[in-house]
Amino acid sequence: MSRIPFSPITINWTLTFRCNFNCRHCYSRPEKAPELPTEQVKEIMAKVAKYKVPFINYGGGEPLLRSDLFELTGYAAALGFNVSMNTNGFLMTEEKAALAKESGFKTVGVSIDSTRPEAHDDFRNTKGSHNKAVSAAKFLKDKGVRLTISSVICRINYTEFEDLVRQARDLGAEQISLHNYKCAGMGFTNRDELDLSPAEWKEFYLKAIALREKVTDIRISMDDPITATIHKAPEQAIVKGSTCGKLSLNIRANGDVTPCGFIPVVIGNLLTDDLKDLWDNSKVLEKMRNKKPKEKCLTCKHYEDCLGGCTARAYATTGDFNSPDPHCWVAK
Amino acid sequence: MRNIRRNPDIIWREEEEAREEAVKAMERGDDASGEGTALLVESGMMHQLNLLGGEIWKLLDGIDEEALVDRLAEVFDVDRETLSRDVRDFLIDIDRRGWLVHE
Ligand code: SF4
Ligand code: SF4
Repeated sequence: MSRIPFSPITINWTLTFRCNFNCRHCYSRPEKAPELPTEQVKEIMAKVAKYKVPFINYGGGEPLLRSDLFELTGYAAALGFNVSMNTNGFLMTEEKAALAKESGFKTVGVSIDSTRPEAHDDFRNTKGSHNKAVSAAKFLKDKGVRLTISSVICRINYTEFEDLVRQARDLGAEQISLHNYKCAGMGFTNRDELDLSPAEWKEFYLKAIALREKVTDIRISMDDPITATIHKAPEQAIVKGSTCGKLSLNIRANGDVTPCGFIPVVIGNLLTDDLKDLWDNSKVLEKMRNKKPKEKCLTCKHYEDCLGGCTARAYATTGDFNSPDPHCWVAK
Repeated sequence: MRNIRRNPDIIWREEEEAREEAVKAMERGDDASGEGTALLVESGMMHQLNLLGGEIWKLLDGIDEEALVDRLAEVFDVDRETLSRDVRDFLIDIDRRGWLVHE
């Protein structure tokens, strides 16, 4: 697409930063922000709906900790949003799965990072969490909610991703998202221990992309611009490089807007600012949409497709949107 | 003739600003085929339609092909035969992708 869509396609929305877990990779553990009450969340939803944003996805913190979650979802669905969420699954019950269906969730994503319960429990710092996540997936399926599984790829699982795909398929998921590791929050603190080297990322993506092309009964999603070095973006990819600030925006628990959950740069607050005004006129978004090559990107033949890779990782590690993605395996 | 509808599983919206630009370009006689005037999301994949595709897509509310071409002829200043052929090609393409429901 020659132009950025007239408003975001997806809003990633952190309704709460509270969580019953304390995961080793979590971007949001160090985050603190007051939570908006139900009426103010609804007020923002109504403002966002004016601009025909089709998708809202609740991220974490743990959405199930909000007692008004299903009320908000019902409200959002009535406004025309396609609502989804990511949950660690621990608090999901049969009743809540039924409420998820009733309130209008289009899909629910459950996080499972290993097929080995002890590895998942250790990574998520919560005993029994693998079991609970598997039960959550089953409750949701039983109630007819479309299921996706999310796995954060890192040192504990990057050689086992085929097992992760098998597990997701066995649970009846229609998609597994293999999320790339972000160096934000705890992910930054635990980077040395959990992140892969550029060579290991390359090895992982070569294998995962080959599997994605073979598998037909479950979608494998890997939304990482750095893969532009291995394969051309599919013809229907409508923007190049990172999609945050081009197709999506992030809302924090207090209504602040950031380009993405992993870039802690506040561009406005939707209690007072207009979404379209921020989308069209934010200097930060403009910089992200018009990145300039720097260092090794200057001479890289992939730049046109890769645009320096993940802007969030570049920013987290160097403070500059334009720096090459630290996961990039292309030699200097 | 059977009526045609959009597959309800496809989430879509018109890109109003891009459509305005495309219409202006068409009126100037410029090529507007690169403008994505509608965005579709299907099974997690995003697609865009150009002006003709977008106008067809919007009208697929249970309409037969003949009536569809009539409506489009109000917007596009091309001969009927060319328009019918372009519409047919487009419908075949999106039908193959599973984006249509035939009543
Ligand atoms: S990653 Fe999710 S489940 Fe884990 S601590 Fe962060 S918000 Fe909670
Ligand atoms: S050098 Fe820059 S443009 Fe090239 S692959 Fe690495 S991050 Fe992408």
